[in-house]
Amino acid sequence: MWFKSKPGALGDFEQLVLFGVLRLGDEAYGAAIRQEIHARSGRDVSINAVYTTLDRLEGKGLLRSWEGAPTAQRGGRRRKFYALRPPGITALRHAYHAVRSMADGLEGQLEPK
Amino acid sequence: MRHDPPRVAMRLLGLRLPPEWRDFVLGDLEEEFRSRALTSPSAARRWLWRQTLRGLARPLRPSAAGSAATGGPSANAARRDPFMLTVLSDLRHALRVFHRAPSFALAVVAVLALGIGANTAIFSVVNAVLLRPLPFDEPDRLVRLYHTPPQTTFPGMATFSLSPANFLDWQRDSRSFDAMAAYRFRGFTLTGGGAAEALRATVVGPDFFTIVRAQAALGRTFVPDEHVPARARVVVISDAFWKSHLGAAPDAPGRTLTLDGEAYTIVGVMPARFSVAAWAATAPPLWVPLAWTDKDRAVRENHNFQAIARLKSGVPLGQAVSELEVISQRLERAYPAENAGWGGTAIPLIEVIVGDIRTSLVMLLAAVALVLLIACANVGNLILARAMGRRKEIAIRAALGAGRRRVFQYLLMESLVLAAAGGIAGLLLARAAIGAGASLVASQIPRAAEASVDARVLLFVLAASVLTGILAGAVPAMRAGRTDLNDTLKEGGRSDSAGAGTLTRRALIVAEVALSLMLLMGAGVMLRSLHALRHVDAGFNARNVLKLDIDLPDTRYGMPAQRRAFYDTLLERLRALPGVQDAGVVDTLPVTGGGSVQPMVVEGRAELRPSEQPTVSVRFAGADYTRTMEIPMVRGRDFASGDIQALLVSESAARLLWGSEDPIGRRAILPLLSRTKAVDVVGIVGDVREQLAQKAPPTVYLYSRDLPFGGLSVAIRTTSEPAQLTRSAVAAVHAIDPQLPVQEVRTMDAVVEETLVSERFRALLLEIFAATALTLASVGIYSVLSYLVRGRRREIGIRTALGAATGDVLRLVLIEGLKPTLVGIALGAAGALAAARLLEQLVYGVKASDPLTLGVVAVTLLLVSIAASLLPAWRAARLDPVTVLRD
Repeated sequence: MWFKSKPGALGDFEQLVLFGVLRLGDEAYGAAIRQEIHARSGRDVSINAVYTTLDRLEGKGLLRSWEGAPTAQRGGRRRKFYALRPPGITALRHAYHAVRSMADGLEGQLEPK
Repeated sequence: MRHDPPRVAMRLLGLRLPPEWRDFVLGDLEEEFRSRALTSPSAARRWLWRQTLRGLARPLRPSAAGSAATGGPSANAARRDPFMLTVLSDLRHALRVFHRAPSFALAVVAVLALGIGANTAIFSVVNAVLLRPLPFDEPDRLVRLYHTPPQTTFPGMATFSLSPANFLDWQRDSRSFDAMAAYRFRGFTLTGGGAAEALRATVVGPDFFTIVRAQAALGRTFVPDEHVPARARVVVISDAFWKSHLGAAPDAPGRTLTLDGEAYTIVGVMPARFSVAAWAATAPPLWVPLAWTDKDRAVRENHNFQAIARLKSGVPLGQAVSELEVISQRLERAYPAENAGWGGTAIPLIEVIVGDIRTSLVMLLAAVALVLLIACANVGNLILARAMGRRKEIAIRAALGAGRRRVFQYLLMESLVLAAAGGIAGLLLARAAIGAGASLVASQIPRAAEASVDARVLLFVLAASVLTGILAGAVPAMRAGRTDLNDTLKEGGRSDSAGAGTLTRRALIVAEVALSLMLLMGAGVMLRSLHALRHVDAGFNARNVLKLDIDLPDTRYGMPAQRRAFYDTLLERLRALPGVQDAGVVDTLPVTGGGSVQPMVVEGRAELRPSEQPTVSVRFAGADYTRTMEIPMVRGRDFASGDIQALLVSESAARLLWGSEDPIGRRAILPLLSRTKAVDVVGIVGDVREQLAQKAPPTVYLYSRDLPFGGLSVAIRTTSEPAQLTRSAVAAVHAIDPQLPVQEVRTMDAVVEETLVSERFRALLLEIFAATALTLASVGIYSVLSYLVRGRRREIGIRTALGAATGDVLRLVLIEGLKPTLVGIALGAAGALAAARLLEQLVYGVKASDPLTLGVVAVTLLLVSIAASLLPAWRAARLDPVTVLRD
């Protein structure tokens, strides 16, 4: 349905996931993204939630994915890597600017005293 | 060390993942698990389980668009299973109960943990005792062989030991067995390493170890030519003995032990798992070879050997039994003098070991299941109360299109989740109970020490939890699902109204009271039976008697005169001790089990065939024995120092052999001891029971100046607490012979009490169950009545406003509670009478349907239910009509 294919505003968790993918570069796969979010935002999310979101973002055309080779560390299982597509970068930039401009001048009130 | 992620968790999660995602998600989890396990494996495991639970509650849902973009996972993958999805969403909701209503959840889980825990503990004992096979190879093919004795001479005895000649004939002629081996038990005195020590040994025939398929852990078992008298000074030792006496020395085989003054060469050490405490043949620390002489082999009339055999593969037990019967019939014809009336049979080893305990355990399992049912009723009640409080929520769900089935499923899931939590807590409880209890019970129930939580126990917990969840949840769920949508929503803000679910609640009280009554009845009957057994007149006085066992080794006491001299000196010294009133010796004390049973012939009468000759228990006793035990002398006199041989006969033995004639002054022959020597009967004594619950067997006491053997029990009657005399009594023995081990020093009271352990154990467990049941039932009655009173506040307020006195309101509520209680008592009484049949064979001196006990129990329950109703009733009576009506 055409009216749904237009990427809408990003959700809060979607932003975290996209930042994670961007930050990890070539090493962006589920567990790494999960740990990155946990380490930086303190949100200990389930791996299922990460993949559900990754899959949805890929469906919106913001991400692309490819499969890696099986490794012993993973019990002989493959990794699924993700990277941002140009629309993904654009969407993330919009979201980030939106937050930043909304927060502009409020830093003093938001910082812990 | 390498740590692998919990397999169960991964498997579970894998089930709930779309196949095309499994690799990525599980791989990620395993990878992160491994890196976490490097710092803390247990934290990593916790983390993985948390991820798994969250993953199960919120499964991965690939979006349709996402799949289209990659051309990968099918969009319908996650939705193909709507039932599972609703189950999972219900599960998620149900899990929240712990957050939303923690005290409710805690109460339910605690009650269920008690119920499931008690059941699990009992089941794990049942599992170990009745269900788990013996630790031998193909244990179901192991059978014990027995004679079946002639019923005229051995009334009530189903099995009997074997005689060597008959055993050898069975061995030669039967075709149903791979092999059979005879064995018996004997005592040894171990010397050469500090104090002398008495040890038990199993004397085993050739093939014994082959039959049980056991090999030595170190060295070897016996070889065939060690079963001849000249070569038989070899011994195989147990793992425990090897560790305790030889410091687990690897060179133990080849060393020697001094047993009864002779050197025995150790040839092998058995592995620890071979020592099955419940089977006497494998329990002792030593095994020595059975070496029959030609003379031994010819003995047909004296039945002193046990036998074990292995059925040929594929041969059914019935076939083996009938073969033994056929062989026995042939032997009866060939040797009528010895064998008339003696048959043969085979019984599976496990049956022999477990024996009569089965009835007991089944009864306990049934009783503990009743406790769980009561717990279910209580929990059902709590869930119903909660469901009624949530009628609005449920009605809204229904209004939004949730069908009755959907609501039912949702509520049931909640109770299943609670039951699962109760199951886990119960399992932990049971594990603790088994740890503490197994060693206590071990001496009373064969194999109970092996009780532990294994796969079957886990399966039991799972089944019990699911069943409990369904039982406790189904009634309330059905009841709530029936709620009339229209009425409920119309009632507006008004909460609990009277009548909602009242019938269901009353039914739950009825069930609880009925089940409690059955348990109380069981406990009451058991207690009365125990009381009856403790006060049974056994024919002797156990108070203030100390006993000890001595076994004089043949090597130093080979002559009858030496043995007589030892015991005469010992008794003399014991009697001289302060606080000692009397002392006497006998070969087997009453209620200790065992003892010889032999045919007896009155002099002058013809000896009948063995199948028709009356038999008596024969006790070798010294002078003063009957006086020491306070066995009453009915007529005649005790043994005197001038006697060479003399007999005392019990009243029932006198009746059996002489009828109405007077036996005193007559003579009798004990053919197994001597066919030619007749012994004078000098007196008649009272009957003595061998088992508290059974009639006294006809008994004769034989005095013989030449003691034919050295193993006797010494009974000492004291004027004060007998246990205080232990040390000086043992010292008296050692003053005569410091090398002599003194065994089984105990008060006779303790010996008698020991025979009651299984009765005490049963009574104790039933008391615990009944107390739990009573508590649960009173809590149940209390909570239901409180709920009803709350619902009828307005009505009660109006009554009070219209002039009802406190007493009227009290009565109103009390009657409300009493009605279901009375129905429960009636139903429970019927149930108890029906269950009495199971209990009947476990009680003594009281009928399992004893009306007095039933009455007491019913009144107790009635009082408890009144007590439980009082608080709600009092609250109702104190209601202030003004406040209530204004609300």
